[in-house]
Formats: sequence, C-alpha cells, structure tokens
Amino acid sequence: MSWPENFLRDTTGFVQKMFYKPAGYVAGLFEDIGNLKDLSKENEQLKILAAQYARDKAQYNFIQVENEQLKEQLKFTKAQEELYKYQYHIAQVVSQTTEPSNSTIVIDLGAKDGVRPNMSVISVDGLVGVISQVSNFTSTVKLMTMMDTNDPNSQPPIAATAINKEGKTFGMIESYDPKTNKLLMNKIPPGDPIAPKDVIVSSGIGGLYPRGLTIGTVESVEVGEFGLTSTAVIKPSAEFQDWKQLIVVFTEERAE
Amino acid sequence: MNMRRSVLVLLLFLLFILEGTILPWLIPDVWQMRIIPNLVFVVLLFVAVYHHRHTALILGLTFGLLHDVVFYGRILGAHSFAMGLSAYLIGLLFQIPRAPLPLMMTVILLGSLLEDSVLFGIYSVFNLNQEPYSWAILNHMLPTMLFHFAIALILYIPLRRQLELIKKEKSTEEAA
Repeated sequence: MSWPENFLRDTTGFVQKMFYKPAGYVAGLFEDIGNLKDLSKENEQLKILAAQYARDKAQYNFIQVENEQLKEQLKFTKAQEELYKYQYHIAQVVSQTTEPSNSTIVIDLGAKDGVRPNMSVISVDGLVGVISQVSNFTSTVKLMTMMDTNDPNSQPPIAATAINKEGKTFGMIESYDPKTNKLLMNKIPPGDPIAPKDVIVSSGIGGLYPRGLTIGTVESVEVGEFGLTSTAVIKPSAEFQDWKQLIVVFTEERAE
Repeated sequence: MNMRRSVLVLLLFLLFILEGTILPWLIPDVWQMRIIPNLVFVVLLFVAVYHHRHTALILGLTFGLLHDVVFYGRILGAHSFAMGLSAYLIGLLFQIPRAPLPLMMTVILLGSLLEDSVLFGIYSVFNLNQEPYSWAILNHMLPTMLFHFAIALILYIPLRRQLELIKKEKSTEEAA
C-alpha cells in the first residue's frame, strides 16, 4: 500500500479507536443489564460444557502425545510439523461500515504486528472474514458477507467439511446471499452424507484458511446449479455486527 | 480568516468518525444492514443548497475518498464519485440560499436516494451486486432516506447558522 494511504488510514484509525471502544463499553453495559436474567441459564450450560471439555482434554492430551510420536517416527519435515500450529492474536475493532454489498471493518493490528493479507479473522462464534488490506498499524477485514463469485477481488472460496464427517464431506463455500443472509456451499459431490444441522468447519485443504474454524450450520441441501453437485445453504455462526474484539489467526508463513 | 471554513471541515471529519464508530452501536441490530448512515453527505447537501455546489463537489470527492481508503471495500473511488457527483447535481438543481425547511428536507430525501442509486449503479456496472434495484430500494435505500431525514432535522438550525456565517465572512472578505 502506498504511503499516503498508509498515513491516512493509520491517522484516521487512531482517532476512530478513541471513539469506538468507549461507545462499545456504554452499549455493552446496557446489553449486560438486559441479559441479566438469562445468566443463570447460561451458567448452567457453561458448566455442562466445561465438564465435557475436561473429559475431552484428557483424551486430547493422549492423542496429541501419540500424534507427535508418530510424526517423529515418520520423519515429518519442519514445515509439515508446523502446518497446523496457529497463533491467535486479539485485535480491537476500530470502526465498521455496514453497507449491504460492501461491508468491512477496521482492526488495530497492522503490518508492524505481523498481519498479512488473507489471514482469517474469527470471533468467539466463528469465522468473520479475511484480512484484505494491511497498513502499518491498522488493517481492513473483508466480511464473509462480501463473498461473491463474480467479484475478482473477493476472498477465495473456503474448502469446508462438517464436524464428525471430516473425511467424508467436502464442499466449497463460495458466496453469500444478502437477501437471505445465508452462505452457499457449492460443489458438494453426489452421495455426500451432509445433512441439515451439521456444523460446517474449514477443512484446511488448499492452505489459505486454517483448518477447524467454525463457519456455520447447514439449513438445507439443494441440487446445485448444473444438477451434478449439491449446494448447501449455511447459516453463518458469527453475527456480522457489534464486535468489540476479534481474533486474527496467524499461520506459519510458507512459500506458495 | 478561514476560521469558519476549517470548522466546517472539522465537523465533517468528526461526523465521518461518528458514523463509523458510535452509530453502529446506536442503531438497533435488526436495522444495521439496512440503515447506512452517511452523515457527511447530509451536511454536504446543506453546503450544496445554502453555500455553493463547487464547495460541495470538492468536499464530496475528498470525504468520499477518505471513506474509500479507510474502509477499502470492493473498488476504490466509488464513494468519492457517488458523493461528489450527487452533491454537485443537487447543488446544480437546488442552489437556493434562502430555501425554507420543507424544501431542504425534500432535497435531503432526493439527495440520499440519488447517492445510494449512484453507488448501486456503480456496483451493478461492475457486476458486483446481483440484487434487483427494487429490492435495494426497499431493503436499504428507503430506511436510509428516513434516517438521513431525521438527522437533517436535528442538524438544520446549527448548520444553517454556520453556513450563513461562512457566507458573511466571505462577503466581508470580498468587500475589504
């Protein structure tokens, strides 16, 4: 990016930062008061989740150790070993625009923090978007709502799979329908076990998107454009509004 | 000497900041994708009607470009073009320094629709949106028009006073 753009974006970003965060706190306070009565219910659910997590964690540790031993025995290269080691960095949202066909947000991590274009950005709920432009101290996140097969600058399609059907399901998430607010997953081969209510995650095939990012849940599966493959309609799990913090997933830099 | 004019530019910058940071928190979630606040453009319409269309054109181009660079959407310059052109066209048709409130409000509605339509047109030309125009009007242009109408009602008195002061300053400068 050229220096006038860098300068303009970073100075504006600096001013915006001073406004966005306090506004978020005030709005958050009112939201918290509104949510007060749901707290006990949420607490109960979280307790169940935590217990489940503790069980899974023990299992996970065994599998991880075993996995590492196997990798060592099979003599994985360094690049192969670090393929799935991601770093998660918290970013503050600085400002946002919500135009229907052109919505982006600005976050306060930039090239100086090691952000590169095409890194994935997630919220606690799931995949939010992809870094599209990086200046020194801020960067622009293109939301998933801007996915469009007709746009040459759109973020690349996401290779996706369903949880518990990792080896069997495959599809490409290619576009977003602003009329229904749903994502479309195309190129699902015939005979695929994908079904409504499946949770869709990125599969990591292709290398651009890290694997295991939650994208959404399947609402319906239809016959695709040319009748050969199916298309799944996916309800995104992230809500595309009112963020405070987002997480940028740093992947190992790798020669393409 | 150009005190008032720099106040105007600062006000525009402040509004630009507000529309990206505070307004998303104020607008209810359901309406967030449907109301696209463009406070800068509302003020530009005032400038076009009560001051001069050339000033509005220049300010529209600059602040549109600022929006384009900061939010870096699909194509650079779309907002710059849309805001500059529609502010200029509105100024060409309605540059009436003594325009009363009802006329000004009509101008706000028309200008807001014009700006959104120009943007829609740009995206359509480059095949970046597949939705029909009728859907876009009902989905976001109408709510945005009404929102801008409300904002303009709030801003009417202070803005008109400021613009009159700018005019007075200009005429005293010319007389001196």
